[in-house]
Amino acid sequence: MNRRQLFLLGTAAMLANAMPSFTFAATQDIESRFMGASQLLVNHDLSPAVGARIAAFAQASYPNLGDMLDRITETAAARGASRVEDFFDAIPEGELRDFAFWVISAWYTGSSSGDRDATLFTYEEALLYQPTIDMVPIPTFGFSAPNAWGNDLYPLTDLPRF
Amino acid sequence: MTSSSQVIVVGTGVVGSVIAEHCLDAGLEVLMIEAGPRVSRAQIVENYRNLPLGAKPDATASYPPADWAPHPFHGLEHLESTGPNKYDPTYIRYAGGSTWHWAGTSWRLTPEDMQLRSRYGVGRDWAFDYETIDPYYNMTERKLGICGPADPADQWPVRTRSMPYPMPHLPLSQGERKFTEVMRDKLGLRNVPVAQARNSGMPYDDRPACCANNNCVPVCPVGAKYDAATSLNRLEAKGATILENSVVYRVETGEGNRIVAVHYYDRDKTSHRVTGEHFVIACNGVETPRLMLMSADDRNPNGLANSSDQVGRNMMDHPQQGYTFTTVEPYWLGAGPVVNSGIMETSQGDFRADHAAVYFRLNNFARNRDIAKRAMSSGKVGRALDEEIRRLTATSLNVVAAFEMLPDPNNRLTLSAQKDWLGLPRPSVYWDVGDYVRRSSAEYSNPLAQRIAEAVGATDFKPASPEKFSTSKHIMGGTIMGNDPATSVVDRHSRTHDHANLYLPGGGAMASTACGNSTITMTAMAFMAAEALVSEAKGA
Ligand SMILES: Cc1cc2nc3c(=O)[nH]c(=O)nc-3n(C[C@H](O)[C@H](O)[C@H](O)COP(=O)(O)OP(=O)(O)OC[C@H]3O[C@@H](n4cnc5c(N)ncnc54)[C@H](O)[C@@H]3O)c2cc1C
Repeated sequence: MNRRQLFLLGTAAMLANAMPSFTFAATQDIESRFMGASQLLVNHDLSPAVGARIAAFAQASYPNLGDMLDRITETAAARGASRVEDFFDAIPEGELRDFAFWVISAWYTGSSSGDRDATLFTYEEALLYQPTIDMVPIPTFGFSAPNAWGNDLYPLTDLPRF
Repeated sequence: MTSSSQVIVVGTGVVGSVIAEHCLDAGLEVLMIEAGPRVSRAQIVENYRNLPLGAKPDATASYPPADWAPHPFHGLEHLESTGPNKYDPTYIRYAGGSTWHWAGTSWRLTPEDMQLRSRYGVGRDWAFDYETIDPYYNMTERKLGICGPADPADQWPVRTRSMPYPMPHLPLSQGERKFTEVMRDKLGLRNVPVAQARNSGMPYDDRPACCANNNCVPVCPVGAKYDAATSLNRLEAKGATILENSVVYRVETGEGNRIVAVHYYDRDKTSHRVTGEHFVIACNGVETPRLMLMSADDRNPNGLANSSDQVGRNMMDHPQQGYTFTTVEPYWLGAGPVVNSGIMETSQGDFRADHAAVYFRLNNFARNRDIAKRAMSSGKVGRALDEEIRRLTATSLNVVAAFEMLPDPNNRLTLSAQKDWLGLPRPSVYWDVGDYVRRSSAEYSNPLAQRIAEAVGATDFKPASPEKFSTSKHIMGGTIMGNDPATSVVDRHSRTHDHANLYLPGGGAMASTACGNSTITMTAMAFMAAEALVSEAKGA
């Protein structure tokens, strides 16, 4: 082995040692970019822990994840928008629009798809239950005192805040 | 390892548990043998919460079967179905049995339900009348803690009760009240509060009051609903021995065709023999006839208790058809237990000479998970999506029509050539719901369902196909009861005609199904069996 080969080997070893933190940093980066894009698509309080799980799944499923997240963020920025209603129509139809719907669906259903073998991201933090939380329990969680659930029929228009 | 007991009860479901406790209270020695594992409620609740949304509607998904005690489960063909309709019941082979995931709905039969042959010329009559079973219904309501309405106008059946319910009925949600009013005002139909095995407004039986967790199926997270698992510690405190993970695969006969022992495999596939004096096989309407057939011996070449050739025949259920529709006005179902009211009066009438009766239940499952796909594929985002979820959840209704079914010897459970993990033949069931049911769907139930949908202002009613029925999971008929040993398997005490010390209580004994969920009747019959067993044991 000549000196140059030794040098290359040493560099490779150094890089390999550095890899775990590099991966960690990359993961953190994707997570925060994912949360950023998510916050634009879903204008509610979003849990970073749930976001990390969805991001990890997305990373394994979408090779161009980073790029798609950036394009969603840029689309909103181009409109100066922070609400999904103000920029969603500007997301081009096709792969990017489908991905945006997938992200929204993941937050609402807490699952990677509607299939019975889908990956679960969260149960009780799935947003699906929040628009009706004043009237309907999240199943398994207590809702009222004994025999005290005969509350008023709330109008459809009074959306709870979440 | 226990190798002998005065009374041997196989199965720790509601039927086995009630009999075991009655025997213990009478001072008898009881051994219970249970195929499945003993699990904690917390574990099942976690299993449920950890399911992806798409698996949550499956009532069995939270109960993965043990290798040695398979039960019907997604991806596992435990039960073969042949014939024109799909027979697809679920049950749980865990300690505590299938009430783990029952809804707790507890409709009594009516006197007419028990006399189909003499009144309408179809099916079979029961071996006894309503007055005979009435006291045992009362015992069941007390044992399980069944709440129900005090107002006779809201009670089912419509007749004076001999005892009040031990608890008042659970309140209807606003949406259920609205549905009740609409049914009354527009159709003249009574939508009445369901009598149900759930603690209403108070603790009962050391279990807490219902707090509307809306998860009775697949598991009540707090134990406000009766399930047999809640009684097992008490049975042990009273002296029962419970062997879990022990699969009985053979019932052994001896002199005089009396039962002398049962054989079970433990989870290492080691076989054990347990002797006793009185034997109760309470493994449910599929596993009990299966065990009888598996136990064939020289004295009983067609299987135990089967001199009539009726073991495994006459399998019945409440075939059902669901209707989901959307209304304009909000109904807001989902607060309270998952089934809380229903229309029973459509289950009675002289038309039963021609076609099946039907019961309409208004499901009260929180609708969010069911409308999710529709909302998410609406293309809406932001506030519009939230409003769509709110609208669909509030305005989507699910009404289920449950039919009665006639005993037909061709609807038959046999032993499959396929083997389970222990090498035991799987059950196979030929299944045809029959023209009696199909006619009802086409001529009676579909038109009624349409009127119900129109009355609530549904915008998207679709009739059910008169060919397609799902299974209710109320397993009945396979060890049918009767006075004549030539045409029935067990007598009025659920004791086999062929073996003086063998009882086969549970749904298998039922001679007619009526329309209402049948576990209360299975349990009442279990009390009758228990009384007979105790008096036999005491030499009365
Ligand atoms: C989703 C669902 C909802 C339901 N809702 C209702 C309702 O609202 N109202 C109603 O009336 N009914 C309802 N039912 C039906 C109800 O659950 C059953 O009727 C009831 O549990 C039957 O009780 P059982 O004791 O006869 O049988 P099970 O509860 O099935 O118990 C049988 C026991 O025997 C054990 N066993 C089986 N084979 C063996 C063997 N070889 N050796 C040893 N042990 C064995 C099993 O492990 C089990 O513990 C529902 C069922 C389902 C699936």
